[in-house]
Amino acid sequence: MKEPIEAIQTEALAQISAAADERSLDDARVAVLGKKGTLTLVAAGIKDVPKEDKAAVGQLLNAARTAISTALEEKQIALREIADRAALAGIDVTLPARFQHVGSLHPLTLIRDEAIRILRRMGFALADGPEIEDEFHCFDALNTPADHPARNEKDTFYFDSGKLLRTHTSSVQVRTMEIQTPPIRIIAPGSAYRRDEIDATHLSVFNQLEGLYVGTEVSLPDLKGTLEYFLRELFGTQTEVRFRPHFFPFTEPSFEIDVKLTVKGQAPRWIEVAGCGMVDPAVFEAINTSRKDNAFDPEKVTGFAFGMGLDRLAMIRWGIKDIRLLIENDARFLKQFA
Amino acid sequence: MNVSLNWLATHLDLSGKSIKEIDDLFTFAGVEVEGIVSKGIASDRIVVAQIMEAVQHPNADRLKVTQVDTGEGTLRQIVCGAQNYKVGDKVPCALPGAELPGGFTIGETVMRKVESKGMLCAASEIGLPVGEDGLLILPPDSKIGKPVKQLFDYDTLLELEVTPNRPDLLSHRGMARELATLLKTPLLPLEIARPNTNVSVNIRIDAPAACPLYTAIAIKGVTVKESPAWLKQRLESIGLRPINNIVDITNYVLHELGQPLHAFDAAKLTGNIIVRNAADSENFLALDGSTHVLTLDDLLISDESGAALALAGVMGGAESGVTEITTDIVLESAYFTPQGIRRTSRRTALGSDSSYRFERGVDPQGVLTASSFAVKLILELAGGAAETTTQVAGASPVLTKPVTLDAKKLDQLMGSSIDLTAAEEILTRLGLAKLTDGTWDVPSFRADLQRHIDLVEEIARVHGLDNVPSRFQGTFVPASPIDAAYDADMVLRRRLAALGLHECQTIKLISDAQVSDILPLRPMQDSDVIRVKLPLSEDHAVMRPSIVPGLIASAVRNVRQQAKSLRLFEMGRVFRNAGGGKAKDQESETLSILLSGSALPTGWFKVDRTTDLYDLKGILSALLGGREIKFTPKERAGFVLGCDIKLDEQNIGVFARLTPARERELDFTSPVYVAELDLGKLRKLLNGISHVEDLPQFPGSSRDAAMELPLNTPNAQIETIIAKLAQPLLVSSECFDVFTDPTGQKIAADSKSVAYRFHYREPTRTLKTEEIDTAHQGVLEALTKGLGVKFR
Repeated sequence: MKEPIEAIQTEALAQISAAADERSLDDARVAVLGKKGTLTLVAAGIKDVPKEDKAAVGQLLNAARTAISTALEEKQIALREIADRAALAGIDVTLPARFQHVGSLHPLTLIRDEAIRILRRMGFALADGPEIEDEFHCFDALNTPADHPARNEKDTFYFDSGKLLRTHTSSVQVRTMEIQTPPIRIIAPGSAYRRDEIDATHLSVFNQLEGLYVGTEVSLPDLKGTLEYFLRELFGTQTEVRFRPHFFPFTEPSFEIDVKLTVKGQAPRWIEVAGCGMVDPAVFEAINTSRKDNAFDPEKVTGFAFGMGLDRLAMIRWGIKDIRLLIENDARFLKQFA
Repeated sequence: MNVSLNWLATHLDLSGKSIKEIDDLFTFAGVEVEGIVSKGIASDRIVVAQIMEAVQHPNADRLKVTQVDTGEGTLRQIVCGAQNYKVGDKVPCALPGAELPGGFTIGETVMRKVESKGMLCAASEIGLPVGEDGLLILPPDSKIGKPVKQLFDYDTLLELEVTPNRPDLLSHRGMARELATLLKTPLLPLEIARPNTNVSVNIRIDAPAACPLYTAIAIKGVTVKESPAWLKQRLESIGLRPINNIVDITNYVLHELGQPLHAFDAAKLTGNIIVRNAADSENFLALDGSTHVLTLDDLLISDESGAALALAGVMGGAESGVTEITTDIVLESAYFTPQGIRRTSRRTALGSDSSYRFERGVDPQGVLTASSFAVKLILELAGGAAETTTQVAGASPVLTKPVTLDAKKLDQLMGSSIDLTAAEEILTRLGLAKLTDGTWDVPSFRADLQRHIDLVEEIARVHGLDNVPSRFQGTFVPASPIDAAYDADMVLRRRLAALGLHECQTIKLISDAQVSDILPLRPMQDSDVIRVKLPLSEDHAVMRPSIVPGLIASAVRNVRQQAKSLRLFEMGRVFRNAGGGKAKDQESETLSILLSGSALPTGWFKVDRTTDLYDLKGILSALLGGREIKFTPKERAGFVLGCDIKLDEQNIGVFARLTPARERELDFTSPVYVAELDLGKLRKLLNGISHVEDLPQFPGSSRDAAMELPLNTPNAQIETIIAKLAQPLLVSSECFDVFTDPTGQKIAADSKSVAYRFHYREPTRTLKTEEIDTAHQGVLEALTKGLGVKFR
């Protein structure tokens, strides 16, 4: 039986070697090692081999099977390597991506969130109030006389009901003090409205951030420290901050705050970013009248308030030259904030 | 307010002060400097030069090389491009080091290989009004080497914004007084004689509340003519147009002292002056030619004829003013109450330098002083003879009272940054005087100082916040419900951005036309819409009841810019009237989404698909953590495919597609899907899980079923039957295929094949095949019974 076994092995090895793919390799395996494979059939004939030859024939068979199996394995590895190489060869890593939609948050959201995160670290909680306000909360309680220029129909949107669109978020100060008692430490982002024609620097609906801290012994050093810290967190720790005396009906003393900023290609200059001041005792008196108690006794309670235009902060932060870009929602603009 | 620096310098010594220092002084006094305009030549290094020689530049056709005499002993070589001069002319020469307007400094240069040591200047180049082209030719008698600035007037115009609490600053004298206080320098004396006064029987004040004090003096035999140069120059320096000497003097005194005056032509007065309220609907012809119908609230200067001579404190009448033929005048100086002037000025839309000051409050003690000062000037410049006494009716109102400074509160507020002596010194400098009882007497021009805090403001202002320490501390505060809402909104915003949507901000005032695009959570009637009374324009007349119209407008804008894919969202307030007949405005917050155009970015891989409503459903599902969103059809006016959006049987919003007609009208080329969601409800849905669910311990098994049913059967019916059956082993089911064939070849055209996969599992053990088969059979039977489906 020696010759047939050797012949089978030789032929099988030749077939394996010639296999061009895994399928023909499998055909070769089946042809020799399958149920009806040539070697399987020969092996089945071992029972007819004389007893004294069985060991030798068995050895021959095992050797042939081992040689063939090894060849099959090696050939399979080789074929797979070739196939893998071929598969990878077709991949052009330099083709562009299968793009996903990329969304974005509005710049106003980004700047507002940045401001809120800073102020929350400093222990301010959020508050809000209605945008359709009454004259008491928007003006009277804020020590703004009835004939104040802001209170006419040319500058403020009124409704037939006598209500109005709040001209500042300062009305939230009043709303909050009516329902809370000192200490109060709040911030209130929100929309405000003025009867301004829309142009490159004005919107009739704009966004503000209001802040209020009321307690006992709240002082000018608190106002100064709080706002310096806030603005340096927002604009950079080295930012110069200055307080210019100003006038607001509901704070006294009042200040406007400038930060010194460098616009690319220009000399550094002072840019107005916020207004602030110590809450005028007349505001506390109006709150007490409204509350019908003396929770905000001007003899005992002091506080400071501040407000800033968020649209303006966004314009400063990103060098936005026309405020209308903030309400036009041109995707080419919005995408830049992705 | 416009202030001339030269004018200001007549009241205090400003020598050695740079514009920058003066700018800072005003700024830290609380007066905003809005503009600084220099007129004339600033630099000393621009001098008179005589052109001695001019030859052609060897290397440039258009240039000449000149030799000029600037009085230095040697000639200076300067390359020049101008053509309008001749040798011998005198022109301005900017010497090296001269700074020109615009901030650049002249140096020595080489121009095309020829040295040039300075620059010969045109008028515009040295800050003078633009004259003829070319060099400014100076008079032949100009002295060589003399700074050119000495040949022209130099002044700086400051545009200042005075806050409404400081009317005392609305004059050059007032500004100078403030600067003198801050600089601790004396105010130069202004000698004005106190006039003789006479309680007048010739003036009648019928409205003493609106006009507590009225004075008048007659001057006879004046010559109305052009003002002298100095006076015209003063007025022109602050942008006023000279008219005639009498009018110019009243304007000059107003800007000098802050007290408005008015001169009447005495010939046009009949009898005594009467200060009275206007009659209802009385007509008034103002000197600017405008006519006004007055109300009982307006104050008039009248006479015994009843004529309306002037709208008190606001504007003179067209008939009673001084003209070239006037010889006798009556000069008015009065105190009108601010509130009345403000109302009249606003109602008539008439404003003047006079009303501007009266409505903020003039110094009652300045009324007679100003009159006296004006009379002196009139006699000097227009001649004539004044009455020896000024007629006075009423009395100066007392607007100030002694104020207490609470030292303890001052110290607390200032953070102990200023001691009492220094604080008191500031008050003294500001003109206040400490009385024997310790209170502070306030000068008549500072009626804004009424309370302790007003004095603190002055001290803080002059002391400067620079000198106050900064304190970095605060109190602990609990988070508010608004904080929780804000945090939820930011989560939603970030999720939507991550899903590829752009956040928008649209204006909350929309047009009436846009109201047809609203998709409010609850349908609205027209009476629910809130309109502002006096909109700026039709485009911004309505408080938005829904964010959808704003997003549609933004989408239209982007389509015009060839945007292929529109994925927009906005969050914010919407407004409606919830009171039926009564006005009861309601503000709530919504999230609005708009999708249209390509569903996927396109590229070489060529996968493209138009966005459909299932994309929007998918976004909503992803926004809420993969929870199942259901759309329940509910018609919406103005839209198609209207649906309520539901999650767990709760209505959370509204969905719809624009009508195809509206889409075409707005130039959309693919369907536009919009949704408006109740933000209050969405926030609650973000409250994560309270405990985790154990992972399944035993394997489950699935069975697929394809069912044939009428084309128009909604998928929701299948879901309802499955849900109703509540088969305990069925843990989930999903629709994985919908097949239709309009040609009717593979399946009848009026039918569809819907394939579902059903997942079965029992949490405590592995299910036997027979148990699964039985359960599955039950599901199929329920579907057969409920919908009459055929299984394929």
